[in-house]
Amino acid sequence: MKAPTKEPASPSGGAGEKLLVAAAQKDPARFTELYEANFERVYAFVLRRVSNRSDAEDVTAEVFQHALANLKTFEWRGVPFVAWLYRMAGNAIADRWQRVSREQGTAAADDPPDPHARAIPEEVEQRALLFRLVGTLPADQRRVVEMRFAEEKSIREISQEMKRTPGAIKQLQLRAIRSLRAQLDEKPGMRTSKTHG
Amino acid sequence: MAKQSPSEQLDKVVSALLGRPDAPLPRDGASRLFNPSFGPVIEVIRDLINLPRADFKARLKADLEKEGSQVDGESSLGDRRASMATQAEKRVNYMREGFHSITPYLIIPAAARLIDFMKTAFGAEERFRVGRPGAENVIMHAEVKIGDSMIELADANPQFPPTPATLLLRASDPDAVYNRAIAAGATSIEPVADREYGARGGSLRDVCGNTWDISIPLPGSKIFEDFRSVTPHFNPARSADFIEFLEKAFGGEETYRAQSPEGRILHAQVRIGDSVISMGDAHGPYQTKPSTLHLYVPDTDSAYQRALGAGATSIQPPADQPYGERNAGVQDPFGNRWFLATHLRDFQPPAEAS
Repeated sequence: MKAPTKEPASPSGGAGEKLLVAAAQKDPARFTELYEANFERVYAFVLRRVSNRSDAEDVTAEVFQHALANLKTFEWRGVPFVAWLYRMAGNAIADRWQRVSREQGTAAADDPPDPHARAIPEEVEQRALLFRLVGTLPADQRRVVEMRFAEEKSIREISQEMKRTPGAIKQLQLRAIRSLRAQLDEKPGMRTSKTHG
Repeated sequence: MAKQSPSEQLDKVVSALLGRPDAPLPRDGASRLFNPSFGPVIEVIRDLINLPRADFKARLKADLEKEGSQVDGESSLGDRRASMATQAEKRVNYMREGFHSITPYLIIPAAARLIDFMKTAFGAEERFRVGRPGAENVIMHAEVKIGDSMIELADANPQFPPTPATLLLRASDPDAVYNRAIAAGATSIEPVADREYGARGGSLRDVCGNTWDISIPLPGSKIFEDFRSVTPHFNPARSADFIEFLEKAFGGEETYRAQSPEGRILHAQVRIGDSVISMGDAHGPYQTKPSTLHLYVPDTDSAYQRALGAGATSIQPPADQPYGERNAGVQDPFGNRWFLATHLRDFQPPAEAS
């Protein structure tokens, strides 16, 4: 009887997602459920083409605000809702790219991004999944990962904030990263890690 | 070279990658990775460098929530096709039709008398009434409409002691409404007069102990701009504390505040969902008067938890009700009772169904 908010809509859409879209079209206040289900994917998609955090945040915000304002125009054509969001993200990135070129007085760059990538690389799904998995870590591990990576804090700052020794913070960091790796490997269809060096 | 623990070694890798994501990885003297077991986790670290900030995600969600409440849904645009589709899926708005986010719920002795009073004095329209079986004059639940606003009411009982309210009533002719109310049995608190803050109004106490402030903004005044016909008003000892609670518990947003030079809040407004409530620090005849409100929320369960987290106490945990709502009750630290509700399906009142 309640909206299926617990499980995020699957990447390929599905009945749950269709209901969420219909609910949000009727009552835009419910758009946040679609937002929750798709935030990481859009953010990960945007990251492929913008190089810094503040641009990624700007474009992501733009995509969802645009989607909310235009939700009425969305129609089911057998593609998942997220494809619609990716399309908007592609447009937003292309606009930004052109604006930057104009402002810098350069011609359109030699390597304009392909805003409507034909296939969404697995890399986007993989990153989005990783971002979601961070939210499922035990609270102390999650805080360490968020502070260290998203907030770019040093081990010392984190140790002061969490009132734990630097050694304990590094230990939590190690456990968190290993646990994320293990969880990614459990997901069927996901790559195992590449080798580096 | 001193042997480092795996967590120390991993942190070196993290530090190097955070500094420059494409940097060569730290190696030991033999030009190997510090620890071969890190190979598989390096990709994770590289991706984590782009982890979105949790507060960005939360802030954007709050912004969208706000924008969503201002965007017209298809239902209000009258898109017939969409409304047929949604009807087919049996999804309904979380608010009952005709209701707004906030409805004052007057719990008083002699509710039937109050209905008559509101009809005579304020032109209220009775929409629904259920009497107690065998004692029909005892009202278990009733609904009246004044202008664009619904008011719910019920007779007080030991489980629900009286919580009369203070209500601001917008009236195009406050003098006439005030006089009708006095004639119908109300007691004057302040006769109608022009008020320095840009309104003409007066206040009175009705036959059941509710306070009504009846006013109209003076020409050119922007006061009460986004008020509906009826707006609940509060007089907490410190409005600032109440505002903070409303923000935390119900996602309220302060939209107006007027303070005296000493910092007393003379008048403040908080928007919750599509409704506004009004308040001012207790003074003179306007003292703290805990009231009961009905608040429609998209998800009763999460709203209930959030209210408890903000310092409310439970009156009743979330449960499905036979009249098509999922409800929960909390009491805030100021003594007000909030009945949180999510409308699940339309209920045919027996009176209308017959």
